[in-house]
Amino acid sequence: MWKHYARDFIKNNRSSGFSVRLSAFISALLLSLLCGLFYNDWKYEVERIEIEEGGWHSRITGEFDRDTLESIKNFATVKEAVINQKESTDTETVVDLYFDRINTVIPDTPRIALLAGVSPDKITYNYPLLAMYLVRHQEDTAPRLLFPLFILITGLASFSLIIIIHNAFALSMNARIHQFGIFSSIGATPRQIRTCLLQEAAALCALPILTGNLLGIGGSMGAMHLSNVLLGSHIPGRHQAVPGYHPLVLLLTLLITVATIWISAWLPAWKLSRLTPLEAIQNTGELQLKRRKNSPILALLWGAEGELAGNALKAQRKALRTASLSLVLSFLAFTIMQCFFTLSGISTRETYFEKYQDSWDILVTLKDTDVDAFQETGTVQGLPGVEDAVVYQRASAKTIVEEARISEALETLGGFSHASGKFVTKTEKGWLVNAPLIIMDDTSFLNYCQQIGASPRLDGAVVINQIRDVTNPDFRHPVFMPYIREENAVSVLRPAGKEEAEVEIPVLSYTDQVPTLREEYATLDYYELVHFIPVSLWREIKGELDGAKEDTCIRLLGKEGVTLEELNALQSQITRLLGQTYALESENRILEYEINDKQIQGLKAIFGGFCVLLAIIGTGNVFSNTLGFVYQRKREFARYMSVGLTPGQIRKMFCIEALVIGLRPLLITLPLAVLAVGYMLKLSYVAAGEFLAEAPLLPILLLFLAVWGFVALAYAISWRTMRGIHLAEVLRNDTMM
Amino acid sequence: MEILRCEGVSKVYGSGNNQVTALKDIDLTVSKGEFVAIIGASGSGKSTLLHILGSVDKPTKGKVLIDGTDLSTLNQTQAAIFRRRKVGLVYQFYNLIPTLTVEKNILMPLALDRKKPEKEYFEKVVGSLGLSDRLEALPSQLSGGQQQRAAIARSLIYRPALLLADEPTGNLDQKNSCEIIDMLKLSNHNLEQTILMITHNEKTALEAERVITIQDGQIIRDERRR
Repeated sequence: MWKHYARDFIKNNRSSGFSVRLSAFISALLLSLLCGLFYNDWKYEVERIEIEEGGWHSRITGEFDRDTLESIKNFATVKEAVINQKESTDTETVVDLYFDRINTVIPDTPRIALLAGVSPDKITYNYPLLAMYLVRHQEDTAPRLLFPLFILITGLASFSLIIIIHNAFALSMNARIHQFGIFSSIGATPRQIRTCLLQEAAALCALPILTGNLLGIGGSMGAMHLSNVLLGSHIPGRHQAVPGYHPLVLLLTLLITVATIWISAWLPAWKLSRLTPLEAIQNTGELQLKRRKNSPILALLWGAEGELAGNALKAQRKALRTASLSLVLSFLAFTIMQCFFTLSGISTRETYFEKYQDSWDILVTLKDTDVDAFQETGTVQGLPGVEDAVVYQRASAKTIVEEARISEALETLGGFSHASGKFVTKTEKGWLVNAPLIIMDDTSFLNYCQQIGASPRLDGAVVINQIRDVTNPDFRHPVFMPYIREENAVSVLRPAGKEEAEVEIPVLSYTDQVPTLREEYATLDYYELVHFIPVSLWREIKGELDGAKEDTCIRLLGKEGVTLEELNALQSQITRLLGQTYALESENRILEYEINDKQIQGLKAIFGGFCVLLAIIGTGNVFSNTLGFVYQRKREFARYMSVGLTPGQIRKMFCIEALVIGLRPLLITLPLAVLAVGYMLKLSYVAAGEFLAEAPLLPILLLFLAVWGFVALAYAISWRTMRGIHLAEVLRNDTMM
Repeated sequence: MEILRCEGVSKVYGSGNNQVTALKDIDLTVSKGEFVAIIGASGSGKSTLLHILGSVDKPTKGKVLIDGTDLSTLNQTQAAIFRRRKVGLVYQFYNLIPTLTVEKNILMPLALDRKKPEKEYFEKVVGSLGLSDRLEALPSQLSGGQQQRAAIARSLIYRPALLLADEPTGNLDQKNSCEIIDMLKLSNHNLEQTILMITHNEKTALEAERVITIQDGQIIRDERRR
């Protein structure tokens, strides 16, 4: 049938395969992009692990003589065995092993250990790296989610594409049901019909699949390049990604694309081949209504033409399903995405950038460093360009708030009756609450004491005596009140986890003013009682309290009106100064703001691109539908004309159809978007007026106009084909029956 | 030699209150080389009978044997192959594939079996049907009579055991109708082709050597004219 029918059909009906080609192209593009991005993500992860952990596959620790080392190196599957000087000690040597084939790592490393006379517990595997090659050890219980996530996302993408594009194939195939009925009546088997349709689909899709794949590869490379431009290596722990590709990825992508498109084509082909010749031959290909339908609104607005257009749209409902679904989804997703980003932008700006505008310029995190061990405080504070620098560390502790100490205001609100058992525990003496300690360098602590009017001493704590009105969930506009009565001159702290022990420290002052740090207090646990203490006091009590967090932070403020270049220079200076001694990460406020901005722009571009792709699928379907149904609709319009409808009235029908198709996404989206935005406003406590002032009306309007414009264009082209309608010829032409 | 046998064939459409009996216990035999016309008013069940004989539809009850094959035992694929090789179908509205040339339309049943046509037989069929100079034309470029002749040529190309024609002249003018009936008679005489033709036109029916009348799904008369 291919030789005798399908080949000629494709050759002579180039326009009818348009939507099939477009669907195949978009599917290939999306899936290729997905696989390319996954591969690059995988490659980036491998590189990251190699940078952070090293590229060794396994390592053995023990005492090795020269001969043993030589025999390890000569082991059949070992590519390289290198002594790791950094990890080795005086008594034990660490040998990093690299294998030729990564799947031999798990079975061969114990053999090598045996050969070297080392016990199996001295073996270490590079689990994260091995997992990247799908080599898992039974003792590695960490959930390595990259591959499962890829399989899940690809599966979902393929499934969604099948749902969306199978209709394009169905449209092209169903337009010829009658012809396949004729084939069937002269003896074509269901299998022959199915094979013919699938061969036709393969011929139509071959080029779009290849083009889509190539563009997808280019797109994934571009996305990696874009991520480098947007994020660079400024984000702590991120390195420059090197875009790459592998022939196996191309093979896998082609396989997934072909499978997706094959299923999309097979579904309607199978359905069509199951029709009996009688069912198929009786199908005139005309759009039919199964039941009587009314279009009261369209009839009311545009009279008989409105009613006819409404019925025609209802009859085309199945054929236009892809278009409706894609256009509505595209418009809905785009609108909600735009609103979400606007709202999120307002929220981040208010709760983060504006709130901490003057709290920090540079934040340096010293990994695994205790504040009392940090010796360079004075040097950092004396650096040119530094207006203020605070070195601090957080530590956890507990304290008991007795019933009698609860402030009047809190008592009125029910005391601890709203407190979650996760953070607050009732004891015989009172309420055991968290008392986080912020240990500050002595100079900064003394400055802070002066700032709040407390006596500048290094033997006590400043207690933040305020609590949020927990009954009011509006986190954006919280109401504060005193937490405890300010009667006690001492605070009794208890180590977290060993609450029976007590450490008594003097309270220098109770205050509601916190020092200028980029820290948040009482955000999750509203009942925590924050204590600021100097590092001198911490040295005295740390033996009893412990509980210090791993890292120490340095908060730096530059001179007023500091620029990004000045901050970058200061950041480099600090890295040079401390980088040799400490493992550190540093952030820069202006750069972070810019990166955040770029990230949001990048995310918007990705999501927006996806929405535009959906819109392309939708408008592509409208094009193929309106053009594909030209012949069937010629007959429909000939009938209307035979009962007296003028060409002008038919054109009016076309306009109404285009209007409804273009307007439908807006009408469906509007109430849903209002509901979604209302919900988001409620959750974020952003005022409606504030959102409306920045509402993304222009991009939404532009997408709407673009969609509507394309739908109108499709109908205009269709009308041009249709207007030369010759009544007698159409009604006489029975090859359409 | 018997080529067709129907035993107690019934066909019921729908269920419950919407049940319509199209055929009721039809018994019928046709011998090789016979030219039979089935006549009846609209809705009498003659087209249903033809669809069942052509294996495009199945009876609700009863048995149909064509050239020794029981049609009720065939699945969809076997029925299609049977149609291709044993039955030629001619419709009122020709049912030619509009995108294929006349030649390709005629040869399609053979192409489905990946068979090459016998050149001599092909030329004989198209020659006797007056299509030799129209083989490269598309169906839309032919007159109604020519299209129907092309449909007959297609139905004869596999030398079927039985040629079933459903109102073959129903869409044609007087002159073309006469031509088509002459063609059918010619193939009946020259090729010894068994033909079963459905028509509502009594004059056309009288051209056949046996006329069967159907009314309300039952055979009410079976008349041999020669």
